[in-house]
Formats: sequence, structure tokens, C-alpha cells
Amino acid sequence: MNSRTITFLNKENKVSRQSIEKLDLLLLILETIDLNGIQSHYALSNKLNLNDFLPNKVTIWKLRNNNPLRKSYVNNNIKLGEFDALIKITVEMSRYLYPYIREILQSKEDVEKNSVIWNDFNKRFIELINERFNTDSMRVKRLLNQTENDEIVIKYLLTLSLCISNKGFQKLKQFLFDF
Amino acid sequence: MQNKLSFHQSSVNLEIIGLPDYSNNEYKDEISIISHWKLTIIDKPLIEGKVEHLVPIMDAFYIYSNLLIKNEIPLYESKLIDIKAENLNIHNIVLKSSKPNVKPLTLKIGNSLLSDTINCFDQLNESSKVRVKTTDFSNNISNKIKFGFNNRAKFSNLILTPFIAICSLILFSCTFIYLFNPIEDNQKNELIKAK
Repeated sequence: MNSRTITFLNKENKVSRQSIEKLDLLLLILETIDLNGIQSHYALSNKLNLNDFLPNKVTIWKLRNNNPLRKSYVNNNIKLGEFDALIKITVEMSRYLYPYIREILQSKEDVEKNSVIWNDFNKRFIELINERFNTDSMRVKRLLNQTENDEIVIKYLLTLSLCISNKGFQKLKQFLFDF
Repeated sequence: MQNKLSFHQSSVNLEIIGLPDYSNNEYKDEISIISHWKLTIIDKPLIEGKVEHLVPIMDAFYIYSNLLIKNEIPLYESKLIDIKAENLNIHNIVLKSSKPNVKPLTLKIGNSLLSDTINCFDQLNESSKVRVKTTDFSNNISNKIKFGFNNRAKFSNLILTPFIAICSLILFSCTFIYLFNPIEDNQKNELIKAK
């Protein structure tokens, strides 16, 4: 049922821009938490036997450049298999980083008591956005605004924290394709 | 002697107590006849109930979390449980007792506890040792939404194409109306003939 619907959505086995944008942002949030994120993505692709789709770090980088918000945006027409591989990495990494994701969410719940974790996280997130995204875009500007990006970041953190079960892959895919 | 199985995630613990259904050739350590369950959230009152309360509560959490991450109004109301967002980080849960003269229990939980609770429910759903007759919310919802999407897509295919065709036909015809007016042309011819 899933594959049929997705094929219906993407007649040429292509993935929509919005889905890529969402997935790249989720990966960027994971990179914000894991300082060695790029290496971790590659290590996980090896662990999950995804070498056919993601043979090296450059391929992962190229695929993520399909995000139209990126400075180095290139429309390479990411295929479903490659997109699925990136989802699998995201889910696996969320599992490992769940305690940290939870801690960040908790720090935002009571900012007066414990604002250090949230502030550190948000600062690094903004640094990464500045480094990699097209800062002329209005949507990127909203992500850079510390007061406006709260809602987006919290929702994305929550999404990651809800996708750590065995069915996390299906859950995240549903979220990305907006079913 | 009843079986007891626990599902744990950070600050939340879900305990399922019940018996296996021997008539269905189940093993000793399995549970398919649930007598009761307990949901323990650190620093919050204990939530417990019978099997008929478990599935609606699980569904409520799943539906609410879906609304939350899909940018829809985060509000869930039912006879048994209400969940409402106080702000981006805090959620109000009202559990209504089925017994008369028992006041509803109100809880405030943050995103971290919400995700812990849902992860406990996920563990229960994925457990091979407990059989809960769930409504399989996630599948149902996704199918409903997928169905809705497909319908929308079919609807747009059905309506949009003829609509564009009719519009272009009207536009095309309009240009000829301005270029060639047979009545005006006849009048001109008559004038010429009269001269």
C-alpha cells in the first residue's frame, strides 16, 4: 500500500522538494546534537548495509544538496531508494541520540531553571544554518531568528523523538510525505 | 498467578498485568487477557485502568501527537480523555473516570514525557508477548489520510483538466470576437453598397 501510494505521488520515482527539505532539516538537527554528525551518518550507512545507495560521505552530501534551502542546492532528482536510505539513517541516529533529544526538549519546558542546554543547541543550530543554507531566503531567515525558530525546531525534535521504535521508519516516512 | 510485563522509556513505565490465552495455544509468559495496566510517570500521579481504557488512551496519545507534528490544532477530546496544548512545550491531560463521583485527574506533561509515553505504547504495540486488540491507529490513520490524498488527487485530475480546457477555449474564442465581428462587417458592406 505504501509503495503504491508513493509511486502515485512520484510518477518518475522522484521525491518532492518539501520532503527533502524536511528530511535535511531533521538530519541537520541530529548534526547539531552530534558534533561528528557527518561521520556518524556514514558509519550508520555502513552498519545498515546501505552502501548501494550511500557509498561514501560525498554521496550523502550530494543527496542532501537536493534541499532547495541550501546554498549549494543542486536538483539531482533524488530517487526513492536513496531517500529511504537517508530516512533509515535518521531513524537509527534518533535512536542513539534519544537521551539528548529528550534532554533538549526538557530544557525548553522549564527555561528559567535550565536554559543552558537549549541555548547551546539553538546557537549551534543557527551556526549550521548560517554555514550551509541560503541566508537570502525568507524561510531560512525565519530559521535563523531565535524567537521564531522555536516552533519549527521543537516540532522537528519531537518528530525525531517519536520515530525511535521499530516502526520508526514508516512513521517518519508518513511525516515526510505528509500523509 | 498473573503475568506482569513492563515497558520502560526514560521517565515513564507501562505495566501490563494479565494471563495468556491457553485455549489459543499461547505460551506461559504471554499476555492476551489483560486484567489491568498501570502507567507510571515520574513526579505524576499513577494512572491505571482496565483493558477497555487502555486502547482509547493509546489512541488519544497517538492522534494528539500526530496533530502536534503536522501543524494542526493540537486538541483531542473524548469521553475518557482530553489532551490540549497549553503552549509549545506543555500539554494538559484530563483523565475522566468511568466511576460516578470521581473527579477528573488533570496532568501537565512536557514534550519529553509525551514522547516517553508514546515510546512506551510503541514498545507495547511491537511486543510479541502482549496481544492488545488495538484499533491499529497508525495504520488506520495513514490509510485514511492516504485515501483522502488519493481522492483529492483524483478529484483534481477530474476537475482541473476540463476546467483549464474550458478556460483556454473561452480565452481563445474571446480573441476572435475582438478580431472579427460579422455584424459590424455586414454593416460596413451595406454602407459601401449604399455609397
